[in-house]
Amino acid sequence: MKLDGEQFLNADPQTVWTALFDRDVLAGAIPGCESLDQLSATEFAAVVKLKIGPVSARFKGDVELSDIVPGQSCTLSGKGSGGIAGFAKGAAQVTLTPEAGGTRLCYDADVAVGGKLASLGNRLIGATAQKLTDAFFANLSDALTPPEEARSA
Amino acid sequence: MTMHIGQAARRENARRHLAGRGRFVSDLALPRMLHAVFVRSPMARGRIFEIDTSEASACPGVVRIFTAAELNARCTPWIGTLGHFAGMQSPPMNILAEDEVLWTGHPVAMVLARSRAEAEDAAELVMLDIEDAEPVTDGAAALRPGAPLANPAARDNLCYEAVLETADVDAAFAGAAHVVEASMTFGRHTAVTLEPRAVIADFDASSGALTVHHGTQTPYQFQDVYSRHFGLPEGKVRVIAPDVGGSFGMKLHVYNEEMGAVAASLILGRPVRYVADRLESFLSDIHARDHIVQGRMALDAEGTILAMEVNDLTQVGAISAYPRTSAAEGNQVIRLMGAPYRMSDYRGRLSVAFQNKVQTSQYRAVGHPIACAVTEALVERAAEATGLDPFEIRARNLIADDAYPHVSATGYQFEKLSHQACLAKLHEMMEPDALRAEHASLRKQGIYRGFGIASFVEITNPGAAFYGVGGARISAQDGAVVRMMPSGDIHCAISVTEQGQGTETIIAQVVADQLGVTPERVSVTTGDTATTPSGGATWACRGAGIGGETALRAGRRLRDRILTLAGALVQADPASLRLENGAVVDATGAARITLEEIGRIATYRPDTLPDGIDHSLTVAHHFAPTGYPFDFTNGIQGSLVEVDVETGLVRILKHWVVEDCGRIINPLLVDEQIRGGVVQGLGPAFFEECQYDADGQLTNGSLADYLVPMACEMPDIEIAHIETPTGDTILGAKGVGEAGTAAAGAAAMNAVNDALRPFGARLTQTPMTPLRILDALDAAREERTDP
Repeated sequence: MKLDGEQFLNADPQTVWTALFDRDVLAGAIPGCESLDQLSATEFAAVVKLKIGPVSARFKGDVELSDIVPGQSCTLSGKGSGGIAGFAKGAAQVTLTPEAGGTRLCYDADVAVGGKLASLGNRLIGATAQKLTDAFFANLSDALTPPEEARSA
Repeated sequence: MTMHIGQAARRENARRHLAGRGRFVSDLALPRMLHAVFVRSPMARGRIFEIDTSEASACPGVVRIFTAAELNARCTPWIGTLGHFAGMQSPPMNILAEDEVLWTGHPVAMVLARSRAEAEDAAELVMLDIEDAEPVTDGAAALRPGAPLANPAARDNLCYEAVLETADVDAAFAGAAHVVEASMTFGRHTAVTLEPRAVIADFDASSGALTVHHGTQTPYQFQDVYSRHFGLPEGKVRVIAPDVGGSFGMKLHVYNEEMGAVAASLILGRPVRYVADRLESFLSDIHARDHIVQGRMALDAEGTILAMEVNDLTQVGAISAYPRTSAAEGNQVIRLMGAPYRMSDYRGRLSVAFQNKVQTSQYRAVGHPIACAVTEALVERAAEATGLDPFEIRARNLIADDAYPHVSATGYQFEKLSHQACLAKLHEMMEPDALRAEHASLRKQGIYRGFGIASFVEITNPGAAFYGVGGARISAQDGAVVRMMPSGDIHCAISVTEQGQGTETIIAQVVADQLGVTPERVSVTTGDTATTPSGGATWACRGAGIGGETALRAGRRLRDRILTLAGALVQADPASLRLENGAVVDATGAARITLEEIGRIATYRPDTLPDGIDHSLTVAHHFAPTGYPFDFTNGIQGSLVEVDVETGLVRILKHWVVEDCGRIINPLLVDEQIRGGVVQGLGPAFFEECQYDADGQLTNGSLADYLVPMACEMPDIEIAHIETPTGDTILGAKGVGEAGTAAAGAAAMNAVNDALRPFGARLTQTPMTPLRILDALDAAREERTDP
C-alpha cells in the first residue's frame, strides 16, 4: 500500500532534522507509542498500541534510519509484529525542503500488512494508516512549534 | 392411494428451526468444556524461529497452550492423494505448523481456555517469530523450472497433471472450417455457510470413548478418520452431526482445527470446542475454483462441433485437501468439457499447482461451472463465427434424445439424457425472438440488455469410481434401518445426512409409500454414527438417488415382512395382500388388519403367533449403486441481464432453468435446490471472490468486503422439468443439488457478453465486477480507435 503526502512544519530544516532523530520527540509524536528505546544513533525499538477497525493490537518492532543525507533526506524502515493481529512492515522516504518560514516535509511510503490486519481489507487499513500518519505529523508540528508562539497564537 | 413420492411436502425440520429449536453444534455446551482459539501465521510463507507462549500461558482462564511438538505427536499426518490419480503428490500435513508456515492463516499454536474470550485474549499475547520468505502465489509462475517451492516438502510445485485425448484431435482442428478460442479466469470464492465450521471433541478417558459433535456432511468418514489418525478403535469413536447450518461440500474435508480439537481433548480428557469465527472461516475453510483455462473449439462450415482442446491450470494451495484431494475438481473440469455435445474429438490437459494460499477443494458443483462456462463461451463464439442463432447451434450439436446410450469424447457414459427436449422447453419459456426485438428497441434508448444460455450435464449418484477405487475410505454405499413401532408408526435411521436441503423429508416420503402410511407417521434419524448404519452420507448429489433408493429397498423389505406376518394373522396368501392407508388390504381393497394391530400382536402378544414366524419388525438394508458409474443429469439455463455501460453495474433480470433429474421425489425441494444452486452460481459470477495480494495476503476476509449475493440482487428463477428416470434403480431418482450451480454462471456470462456485443467488449473473467466490465469496454474502445 502506497502512502504519500507532505506537511509544512514551522521550523527550519535543521531543527526538523534533529527532531526526527530525537527519541523524546518521536515518542511523543508516534500515535499510541508506549515505549521507544534508542538502540543506536539510527535504530529504535518501539512498542505501539493501535486499533485498526475491530483489531486492537500492541506492535513490537524496530525502526531504522538509513540513506541519510543530513538535513535533507533519509529512509525510515520498520517492521512490527502485532501477534495474532498480524504484522506491518514498510519504508518511507522522507525529504525536507526549506520554504519561507519553515520546512516542507514530503514522505513517500510503501507499507505492507499481513494477517488479520490484511484480511480486514485495504479499505479500512488505508484510511487508518492515513489517519495515523496525519496524527504523527500534527504531533511533530506541535512539538516543533516554539512555546512562545503557541502562547501568542 | 395417494403416492407421496412426487408431492411437494414442506421440509419437516423447517418448523423446528423457525421455532428456535435447532440443534447446532455451535449452540452446544458440555460440562467442563474448553474453548479453542488458534494462533495463525500472519504471513503466507516463512520459517518459524520461536513461538513464545509464556505471557499468554499466565492469562486468566488459560488451561493449556499447545504448539506442534506436543499436539502433532498425538495425530498421524494426513496425505491428500488418491491412487487413481497417477503421479499425484501432496506433502503430509499435521495439525499445527512445525517449521514452515505455508499459507496466511496456517495454525501455529492452539490456546485452550475456559471461554472463547479468554482464549482470544491469551492468543493475542502469543509472540511469533517467523522469518518471512517470498510466497508462491501465481500458479503459472510456480510451474516454471527453478521456481521457488510453495511447500518445501514437495518435489516441485506440480501437484498433479493429466492429459485426456482422442486419436484424431489434431486432424479435426486441421480440417476445421472455423476455430474459436477463449482464455478464461475463474476467481477463488468460498462457501460462506450460515453456521461456520463447528466441532466439540469429547474424550472420556474412563471408557476410552471419543464422541465428536461435528457440523459435517459426512459423519462416517470422520469416524474413520478420527479412528485411524488418533489410533482409536472405530467402535470407540462416535461422530454426531446434528443440525448443520449449510455445508455445500465445504464441511467434508479434514481441517487442522477439527483435528486439533480432537487431539486436545484426547490429551486433556475434557470436551474441547472449536467454532470458527467469520474471519477464520475466510482464512481456513476450503476455497473453490481458481482456474485459468485456455480453450478452443473446431467446427465445420455448417457449425457442427468437431473437437475441443483445453488447458486447465488449477491452483490449489500448499497441500492437496484430504481425503478427497484438491485434484478432483480439475479432473472433472477436463472430463466435463463439451459433455452435452455430439463431439468426437477432444484433448484436455490439466495441471494442478501448489501455491501459498488456503487449499481449494470440492465445493458445490465440483468442476462443473468451469467446464460449462468454457464450453458455452466457445459455443457462443462458434455461433458468432458461423452466423447461427445460439439456440440453433445448440440444436445442431446437442446429443439427440434418441441417441442413447452415448459415450462422450472424454469417456463419460450417458444412460439417457434429454438435451433437445430441454432446449425446446427453454426456447418456449424465454421467447428469444421477443427478447431480441425488445433489446433492439431498448438499445436506441441507451439501455443494453442481453441474454445467454448454457447447456450442462451434472454428475450424480457416484459409485465407488469417485474415491473408493483411489484407495480413499469414503463409502459409495448407504444403509438404512427401517422399523415399525408397536403403534404402527415407522422409524427410519439412514446414513444420508441433512444440512437443510430436506433429506429427512424425502426419505420419509419414500418410506411412507413403501409401507402405505403418510409421511407424518415416518420419523427419520440421520447424522449419528451410533444410531444409524454406516454409509457415504450426503455429497456429490447422492442423497436422493442413493439414499432414497436405500430407503426404498429397506422399506420394501419391511413391507414384505409385515405382509408375511399379516398373511399368517388373517389366513391369507401374503402375495394377495398389500399395504395401504395404514392397513393391510386384500385384492378387493378391503382392509384386513391395521398396522397398529400387527404391531400390538408382534410386540405384546407374540405368543399368539404361529410357531416359527418371524415377528421382527426391523430390517436393515444397504445399497450400493450398480450399472452406470454415475447417473448423469442434464439441463439448460438461460439468463437475462441489463448492463449499465457507464457504471459497469449489472442487473440480473431473470433466470430460467430446465432440468432433468429423473424421478422427482419432492418438486418443492427440487425447485428450491435448483434456486439455491443458481444463486451459488451467480454469486461467484458477479460478486464473490477471495482476493489476495502479491504477498499471499487475503485482503477481503470479512463480510464487509467479500460480497455475497443478496435477495434484492437475485432475479426470479423460473424452473421447468423433463423427467427421465434412471433405470439403474427402482426409484429412478438422480441428484439435483448441484444442477443450478453448474450452469448459472455460464449463462450469465453469455448474457453479459450479449449485452456488450454492440461495443465489441467481452468478459472472460469471473466475478464479472463493474470494474472488469468497464475495463472490457475500455479495451474494446481502444481496439476500435487504435486498430
